[in-house]
Amino acid sequence: MDIIETRELAVGYGDVRVLDELDLAIPAGRISVVLGVSGSGKSTLLKTLAGLMPPLGGEVRFAGAPVDYYSEASLRTLYGKVGVLYQGGALLNSLTLAENVALPVRMQFPEMPLGVVEDMVHSALAQVGLASSAGKHPAELSGGMKKRGALARALILDPEVVFCDEPSSGLDPITSASLDDLLLSVKETFGMTLVVVTHELRSIERVADRVFVLNDGRLHFCGESADLVASEDGFIKTFFLRKDGHDDT
Amino acid sequence: MTPGMNGPDPAAKAPETLLLPRRLRAPEVPGLFREVQRRAEEGPLTLDFREVEEFDSSALALVNLVRRLFPGVEAVNMKGALARAGESFIERPRPAEPGPAGRGWGLGRFFGGVTDAFLLRVKAVGRFLAMFGDEIYHLGVYLRERKGVYPGETWNQLYFMGYRSFPIVCLLIFLVGVTISITSVEQLSLFGADVYIADLVGLAMLKELVPLMTGIILAGKVGAAITAELSSMVVLEEVDALRTMGVVPEKYLMVPRLLAITMAVPLLVAMADIVGIFGGVLVARLTFGMAPSAFLDQMMNSVGWSDFAWGLIKTVVFGWAVVVGSGYKGLTVGRSAEEVGRATTESVVLSITLIVLIDCVFAFILY
Repeated sequence: MDIIETRELAVGYGDVRVLDELDLAIPAGRISVVLGVSGSGKSTLLKTLAGLMPPLGGEVRFAGAPVDYYSEASLRTLYGKVGVLYQGGALLNSLTLAENVALPVRMQFPEMPLGVVEDMVHSALAQVGLASSAGKHPAELSGGMKKRGALARALILDPEVVFCDEPSSGLDPITSASLDDLLLSVKETFGMTLVVVTHELRSIERVADRVFVLNDGRLHFCGESADLVASEDGFIKTFFLRKDGHDDT
Repeated sequence: MTPGMNGPDPAAKAPETLLLPRRLRAPEVPGLFREVQRRAEEGPLTLDFREVEEFDSSALALVNLVRRLFPGVEAVNMKGALARAGESFIERPRPAEPGPAGRGWGLGRFFGGVTDAFLLRVKAVGRFLAMFGDEIYHLGVYLRERKGVYPGETWNQLYFMGYRSFPIVCLLIFLVGVTISITSVEQLSLFGADVYIADLVGLAMLKELVPLMTGIILAGKVGAAITAELSSMVVLEEVDALRTMGVVPEKYLMVPRLLAITMAVPLLVAMADIVGIFGGVLVARLTFGMAPSAFLDQMMNSVGWSDFAWGLIKTVVFGWAVVVGSGYKGLTVGRSAEEVGRATTESVVLSITLIVLIDCVFAFILY
């Protein structure tokens, strides 16, 4: 079953269409990776799917229902079903890590007993290995810790879909691999759908179930990760060869 | 450059030939372009590259430009490396054909530009007013439901806007009180009316100077800080993060600030009134020996509680204008660090403009 479907979707800024005529089908309970070179529109697509930017054309369906980007109620429903892990973490600097993770619960369910919130926060932070850093502010955390903390915040209300915008960027290979493991465990433990935007080859090989490759403003490839690796397509081969070289340096 | 001419025959309209020099690099290109331009306007022209040995990309760009500007100009004898380089030269994409409004350089274009700029301003004013309305709505909903704002945030903001602004507001207002008294007492003494310094300082401080100065200090201190903070949050995707958490950023971020300014301003104004008048008392005492009690008695003859209340109301409205104006600038910023600085500057200008406009409206109401 596909949880997100797009039909002839066009995304971009103002009148500039970064991506056009996208027909995507994102399967539920699996990890879909959106792949493409820098500037190919990966993050713009993610923002549109997460409800942050209205599309310039076409349609997005979430769990079978069309998303109305100009209806507050429709967007509120969508936001209740998604979590987003931003590229830089986007933790609020004025709050501690625990307060950041608690934020979605306290804002959406202000009547929730504080003890319950604290338990939820502890559990979420423990899952990402940050229980001992709950009282720290984002400025005191490393890049990897910020991303794990942001993942805990994205997961705390058990969203149906988690969007991850370049989770490995700026991280060393070991931290990056541990974050990949975390994404896999989220999928396996909670059966969540993850949409991961990346151009890190190692991450793709580790976590991807389905891969969407964007190139020249269009969907260039869509298939299983094994098909991607075996693909004879010129662009994909070039992309992987170059990424291999880049990663090894 | 050694341009050569081969048998011009104007009657037959045969193309003139311009033999290009051996070296054709950036230093030679401007002069050559002027020469080509002059000759191309006179009639058909052929650029002969047979002697060119040294060239760079500016020469290729020149050929490209000349071909585009003067379709009658032909380039011949481009061979070898020059021909290959010419083929690999990537032409700059031509700008889109301008619409009727953008064509030409005349009055139409000028008025088109003015109209566009005006419409952009109108749209910005519309967005600002819409945000002002939204904030009033969010404030009302919050006061009724007590949801959507982080607990304790209002007190944090009150500490920053009120307590941290208190010293600078008091210092500046005291100095304004002293200055206005010194300049006034000199003029009043010419008519033997020194005693009316109390009336003047009292009225000016309570109704005009304290509200205006407090508003301007808040614009510079509080407004700039709000814009810088919010715009940084936008750039760091924190505002997007709030939105996808189901939090309304315009409410979460703005309502505590609006509540804080509403609570902070009366305290600031009360203290500012006191220190401003104290400045007047001090000058009156030191310049012509007027007793503080006499000063206050005299002042109370012309100043009433309504003057204090109007000053307070004005300053609260100024405070709202500062918070909403700077919040608007912060939340509508672009996505680059450069825009954070620009938005912060614009927010101070916007806040002060709003304060002066609102003050003008109050002047019509009060006087």
